[in-house]
Amino acid sequence: MNGFVVALKSELFVSLRTLGSKLVVLMPSLFVVAQYLLTKLRDTGAAARDSLLGGSDFDAAMANNAYGHFVDGLDTGLTLLALLLVAQAAYSFSSDRDSGAVRHLLIRASSRRAIMLAKLLHLHLLALLSLLVLVISSYVLSGMLWEFGAVVEDGFELIGEDEIQQEIALGLRLALLPLPAVIALGLLVSVVANTSTQAVVTALGLTLVLDIFKSTLGDYGLYLYATYLPSLLDQSYLQDVGRLVRGFSDVLIDQRFLDLNNWVPLPSLVILVIMMLVLVQRRRI
Amino acid sequence: MNTSSIESVLRISNLRKNYGKFEVIRGLQLEVARGAIHGLVGLNGSGKTTTLECVLGLQANDGGEISILDRRPHQIHLNHGRVVAIFDTPSLNPNLSVYQTLAHAAMLCEENSRRIDEVIHLLGIEAFTDFKIKNLSLGNKRRASIAQGLIGNPELVLLDEPFNGLDAGGVDDVLRLITTLNHEQGTTFLLSSHQLPYLEQICSHIAILHQGQIALSGSKAELLNEANTILQVRVSDKELTRELATNNNLSWIENSDPELVSLDIGEVNPAEVNSLLVTNGIAVSELIQQRASLESLFRQITSGEAA
Repeated sequence: MNGFVVALKSELFVSLRTLGSKLVVLMPSLFVVAQYLLTKLRDTGAAARDSLLGGSDFDAAMANNAYGHFVDGLDTGLTLLALLLVAQAAYSFSSDRDSGAVRHLLIRASSRRAIMLAKLLHLHLLALLSLLVLVISSYVLSGMLWEFGAVVEDGFELIGEDEIQQEIALGLRLALLPLPAVIALGLLVSVVANTSTQAVVTALGLTLVLDIFKSTLGDYGLYLYATYLPSLLDQSYLQDVGRLVRGFSDVLIDQRFLDLNNWVPLPSLVILVIMMLVLVQRRRI
Repeated sequence: MNTSSIESVLRISNLRKNYGKFEVIRGLQLEVARGAIHGLVGLNGSGKTTTLECVLGLQANDGGEISILDRRPHQIHLNHGRVVAIFDTPSLNPNLSVYQTLAHAAMLCEENSRRIDEVIHLLGIEAFTDFKIKNLSLGNKRRASIAQGLIGNPELVLLDEPFNGLDAGGVDDVLRLITTLNHEQGTTFLLSSHQLPYLEQICSHIAILHQGQIALSGSKAELLNEANTILQVRVSDKELTRELATNNNLSWIENSDPELVSLDIGEVNPAEVNSLLVTNGIAVSELIQQRASLESLFRQITSGEAA
């Protein structure tokens, strides 16, 4: 690929020296930290009230189980990460075109397609880094504020720690599968839009529209990659995992949902990337 | 210009470009010889920037052929920094500092025979290297833009309105820089600009773009020698002067001033014109021979439209 490596190095060079990428990496974790602190504050108040009035032991035990909070944190972080990624992807190419900075790269080192693929890879690296920070910070902080353990009621272990961890891993894997399609959607909008402002607004708008449509489309919504993404109107399995690890639900994932969750995001990604690569060739830069 | 025996770094033949139904470029032909400083002049909206963008592969042309260092525009990146462009807007990442911008440019070039510090010194931007691009004045942004263009020692530099936003000192620096790079390193320049006096000062070749085509192209010396000489005379009787001029095959150029006459005298000696007028009883209070300049040539071609 002509100039792909140079384009990727260029992306990393700018990324390390500007604020936008750092926000994508750190902001989901910072929000989760804030969420944990507020939750802990609320739980402490609730525990004080229950000790005075007498509350359910099971509720108290569940509120104290770190796994539930860990999953809640991942859910919040991934929702925010998806929004940040689509916005950053939409801003990425359109802002370079607005400023004209991409012209130098195009003239000196890389083809248009190489630039777009480098941006795609760079955004995946950002997502990976952000996810890493999110998982580590969520795990460490939820472990510090609460206690990891099995779900136990009246001395019986309802769900063991191994099973909880397996479900969290499955929920996380399924929730991550649509993220590349999210990035590709942002980049596609970035190529089509005339300005960076227009690109960011359109990409976020489309993301919210998809989020609303997935519930109004009924069964057809299962063919939208957005259905499997933690979001404001969450239908992802990760949300079910949150209930599962608290012992409130023993409903495991439906096989059809699992299959579609595994296979819908990939074709979406491929279609969006192909559209992006075709359209970028026709753009005036 | 006879370029058949000279190596061309840029060849444009029959270039066409439309914006919707509006045909901006209509069969443009241009060759830029290696080692030339080639000026591209034209009215606002004549298609100078569009031509440069087509050459650089930034937008697609609707017809014609372009060869830049023997490559098509969409393959321009395969020249690995041998071609650079400096645009009318600075086209730099606003969130990087000047030094970071230059380091970034160095990263894009295969060979960096010119060091960052050297370019900083050449452009006189030592005081601003830690400033972010977005915090610079327009003039300093332009200096930074030129500086990043010179990283990597390019063979062909395309400049779109390079003097915009520069103060007099800045213009002098840029003119000196272009001349030095051209003379010492053989760098070829294609400059698109409205600043005709500056182009006349440094260009070896000129192309005038008018109505989507190259109306006139060639070496500056040839073009200015071939251009007609205009004589401006302040006379006591304008009507009688017109009659005399017509009878003596001097071309009359319309002029709204009641006493001022503009004549295209061709090869005729101005002293003979003066003698002709005086002997016919016309008092001459002022006589100015206007040497052919790029501006007069440009005005002739664009038929009085404002530059």
